[in-house]
Amino acid sequence: MIIDVHGHLGPWFFSGNDASTGQDNVRLMDAHGIDVQLVSSVEAVNYDPESGNQALASAIADEPRLLGMLVIDPRELALAERQLESLPSTFVGAKIHTHYARTSPRSGAMADALRLCAAAGLPVLVHTWEAEVVELAETVARVDDVRVIAGHMGGPGWRRSPSAVERTDRLWLEPCWSHAPAGRIRWVLDRVGPERLVFGSDSTLIDPGVTLGAVRAARLDAEEERRVFHANAIEIFGDRVVPGS
Amino acid sequence: MILDCDLLVGRDLDTARRQRPAELADTLREVGIDGGAVASLRALSFHARSGNREAHEAAVAHGWLAVVAVDLRDPLGAEAEILAAREAGIRLVRLAPERQGIPPAAPRVRLLARIATESGATILAEGALPSVAPAFVGLGANVVFLDQHFYDLGEFILLSRDEPGFHASTRLLGAPGAWETLLEHAGVERLVFGVRSGWYEISSVLERFHALGLDDVERALVGHGNLERLAGPR
Repeated sequence: MIIDVHGHLGPWFFSGNDASTGQDNVRLMDAHGIDVQLVSSVEAVNYDPESGNQALASAIADEPRLLGMLVIDPRELALAERQLESLPSTFVGAKIHTHYARTSPRSGAMADALRLCAAAGLPVLVHTWEAEVVELAETVARVDDVRVIAGHMGGPGWRRSPSAVERTDRLWLEPCWSHAPAGRIRWVLDRVGPERLVFGSDSTLIDPGVTLGAVRAARLDAEEERRVFHANAIEIFGDRVVPGS
Repeated sequence: MILDCDLLVGRDLDTARRQRPAELADTLREVGIDGGAVASLRALSFHARSGNREAHEAAVAHGWLAVVAVDLRDPLGAEAEILAAREAGIRLVRLAPERQGIPPAAPRVRLLARIATESGATILAEGALPSVAPAFVGLGANVVFLDQHFYDLGEFILLSRDEPGFHASTRLLGAPGAWETLLEHAGVERLVFGVRSGWYEISSVLERFHALGLDDVERALVGHGNLERLAGPR
């Protein structure tokens, strides 16, 4: 069973990527054996959470294998609070992007956004790049009860990720990246343990095969595979992410 | 009449602020600006086709000039948008390499500028002149540099001798004498009134426009005529 905690739904602005509907997500999931995908709205991340989150709710309403991640811009917490008040049951978590929301993981605004998510009982996927993975961990450690996945586990800063998970036991690492340096996943797994790595693909921006290939190249044992591909996700998000639930 | 060559509607990622067309129209009315050339932040940030539709609808609703904004992260889509603009009779194309994380020196910027020029469009270019101008040099392009700063005014004037289609927006020409220097050395046809109304302090530019002492002909060219010439017939 594979649960993908890092998906997106909507059109991308890169030439040659025509994925734009939920059916496109499902087609890629089927091609790679992914059972459930947690998706955030491309429109909400790259432009406007007000219109984007709303559009995502409609787009996944009839697609039980896609579950929503509410995009929160830490500079617009009032909007996030309003959207949380009427959050559809198809949403299981939140997504915060540091770059597009122009918000550092170290900032007070990020801490406030994480508090809001903790109060709502929503785990959060936060984009991290380079040192942000450690900076995010430090903020997570200061916010009670929040559970956070460090998206991309720092991207090119992946060697910092073990240092990040040392700072709090409420941070997990998610490894998707358009690059796949040899040995990266095994290097991280051996340092953080299988309890702290959770699979994500960044589909439909990146074909799921890129990160799946990188993870499989680490030759996971049975327990690592169980943890990384689904058990950790269920532990973080609950039974709602179990296929068919 | 005064037209702003640099109108933007939608949500701005840098500030998380929104400006809807009706709000912009109210703002323009309050300060005595009669309209301008409107582009969509949705098109620049997320989705060119639907954003350009939004800009076109705003232009029709408020009597503004429509601008087609392209996404340089999608060069093939950008080419399609430029060609669609030609078919629709829209002659203003906005390029924003830095906003979209594309180096202005990337080949796609120059290639798309060439396509836009060959299709008869005027390019509204974001970005500092020293960064973005090389993409347009030698193409015979009509360009309005929307972020032309007075720091780089001398470079603009030198360039303008070889580039009859290069124009500067007024927004960042805030140094004493900057407008006058440009008018003296490049000519009144090269200065285009631009503020980015609603996102930038309009009075900072509008007061200079009123205080400059332009005669009626110059005032008409800078205030609206140059932009209308570049935009072509409506």
